[in-house]
Amino acid sequence: MKKQNTPKKTFGQRLNQEGVAGYILVLPFIFGFLAFTAIPMAMSLGFSFTEYNILETPEFIGFENYIDMFQDPKFVNTFLVTIRYVIFSVPLRLLMALMIAMLLVKSTKLSGFYRAVFYLPSIIGSSVAVAVLWKKMFESNGVINGLLGLVGLPDDTAWLGGEKTAMFTLIVLAVWQFGSSMLIFLAGLKQIPVSLYEAATVDGANGVKKFFKITLPLLTPTIFFNLINQLISGFMAFTQSYVITQGKPRESTLFYSVYLYQNSFTYGKLGYGCAMAWFMTIFVGLLTLLIFKTQNKWVYYES
Amino acid sequence: MKRKWTAIAMSLVTVASLSLTACGGGGGNAASGSSASSEADGKTTLKLCWWGNQVRNDATQEAVNLYMEQNPDINIEVEFMDWTGYWDKLSTVAAGGNLPDIIQMDYAYLKRYQESNQLANLDEFIENGTIDTSKFQEGVVESGSVDGSCYAISLGIQPPCMVYDKAIVEEAGVEIPEYPTWEELYDIGQTIYEKTGVSTCLDPSMNTMLLLARSYGGYIYDDLAEGDSKAVQKHMEYVEKFSQAEFCISPELWAEKDAANVDTKPIVDQTTWNDFPFACQMPTIATAAGREMGMCMHPKPADATAEQNYLKPSMFFSIAETSEHKEEAAKFIDWFSNDVECNKILKGERGVPVNTDVAEAISADLDDNTKRVFEYTEEAGQMTSPIDPPEPTSASEISQLLETITEGIMYGEITAEEATDQFMSGTAEILQEAAE
Repeated sequence: MKKQNTPKKTFGQRLNQEGVAGYILVLPFIFGFLAFTAIPMAMSLGFSFTEYNILETPEFIGFENYIDMFQDPKFVNTFLVTIRYVIFSVPLRLLMALMIAMLLVKSTKLSGFYRAVFYLPSIIGSSVAVAVLWKKMFESNGVINGLLGLVGLPDDTAWLGGEKTAMFTLIVLAVWQFGSSMLIFLAGLKQIPVSLYEAATVDGANGVKKFFKITLPLLTPTIFFNLINQLISGFMAFTQSYVITQGKPRESTLFYSVYLYQNSFTYGKLGYGCAMAWFMTIFVGLLTLLIFKTQNKWVYYES
Repeated sequence: MKRKWTAIAMSLVTVASLSLTACGGGGGNAASGSSASSEADGKTTLKLCWWGNQVRNDATQEAVNLYMEQNPDINIEVEFMDWTGYWDKLSTVAAGGNLPDIIQMDYAYLKRYQESNQLANLDEFIENGTIDTSKFQEGVVESGSVDGSCYAISLGIQPPCMVYDKAIVEEAGVEIPEYPTWEELYDIGQTIYEKTGVSTCLDPSMNTMLLLARSYGGYIYDDLAEGDSKAVQKHMEYVEKFSQAEFCISPELWAEKDAANVDTKPIVDQTTWNDFPFACQMPTIATAAGREMGMCMHPKPADATAEQNYLKPSMFFSIAETSEHKEEAAKFIDWFSNDVECNKILKGERGVPVNTDVAEAISADLDDNTKRVFEYTEEAGQMTSPIDPPEPTSASEISQLLETITEGIMYGEITAEEATDQFMSGTAEILQEAAE
């Protein structure tokens, strides 16, 4: 189909070249990436070396923000809070996603419907509306306590106000939003050749054995991918803490990103906020690198 | 042929996605681009923003509509949000040089915005009569002034107070004194809990501590800067005493209900019978709760040596320094403060109007709750001491620190004494950093 190169082409001909189509198609992305990601990131790197209260001109102070960070007990605290959140929510969410994916991998009449339904929470996942809904549900006179009361369990727990339970509600919310990992697991499960299972059945392997000897090893690339994705989004979690608990009680649910936001926009220390953002970026980058390095120890690639 | 259509479709998609991306980026920042308003239709467009609740939003919108009707050459675009989001948003917009022409300003932020040259000096408009202040109460222009120049026009004044649920208090058979002490409140809370099971609250926030400092004749931020811990100590002791009592709201519930927003205040769903707002919030609380509310003076310590009460400008209107329509904006502010019809719509929701004629003219039409607010403001106005200077820039960080530390007391993890030490050293650090 490709036309011969002629010395002079009309505008229409130029437009019809395959390469051009590609560039036009990626143009919106490139524009969006530059305007809303790359340039702001570069600016924030610049600001991180300044003292900047948003309203006045930034003043260069070198690495002071980065040094101050490690003398700020609240910085350390929010960092640990976020790590705790990630450590619990990410594995639990992956486990949940895998379990549901295993249930849905069998094709039945309703499996399409179920897949859509289980995916729903992830679509509306990080929105403020869900956070508000969650807050209402876990209020002391909310639905959760109502249900607990119906089955005769104690129904006066102040979930959001308790130092132990507040973080728990946020983790439950995270686990509930397992949809996108579930879809990826589903795709991964479908790629495992049926012949392997058949052979195992012939050899007399039971379900548990099949899961650990066939499903799990062949799924490790998918697990790896999901793990990285979820780790990154876990460290970026913001809405839950900001909307549902506002970091209360006693800053036990004050996420790193919320403290970063408070510094930048409430306390008028945007420079410090930017430095915090870059610290987290570097930390997550290193963590991802570390997990990539361990890849050949546990991730199994066919061929 | 097919190819041609593909190319056209593709360009359309590109254009569409480009403009969508642009909307996505700009849409979140609806207040931007204020100064560069279009005047293609011969109209001047003013941007106006405020924080508030549903009642205020509806009333202000109605007043703005009336103004546009009376001034066909003015178009006013409004934006409103709740208190918490408002300041974060405003600082971001200010950074971009896109502040709305007319900004609702609070006493706590006035200095910060004035110091960074974001606000227009209003002296000129007051002198040439664009903003007519001749009927204003005494001290109103001064309350919006920094270093002798006026940067903000107060929209109403209001004293602090305690609001209580009338039905619950009556059921318990107690009498709320006109000006209770904290010690009396402790006993009242006990009785009410025994008779009705409803809890008492003590607002552990900066507002309470500020009033305590005033009770001893001090100004809390001066006290903190000088290392004087008397008011802080007293505050922590009250927090400890109340939170250890059975009749006081549990820290879990206090954390869950958000007393900073009217709709979630614990008094609204009868978790507590009392609350500590500023006076003009009372009708809104009564509406949110659907119950009758009483008002009395904000409690003071029994050993108070000075009068804690003061009349706080509830909020201001300021004009952005970047505004291209300062004159028109000033005219609107003049109308908003001095027009009777406008204030009949607003119904004193922003506090008692500063124009005494207007306040009198609208008082006949007010509902019972607002009437009570006006009366109370008058009563409290009889015994006040001068208002504190505007808060320092680091005030928001200090009040966050106080919240965390008082939570420590309420959850029983630290004592009042430890809390005092932590707070004094914490604020010293914050203040020192701010001074650098």
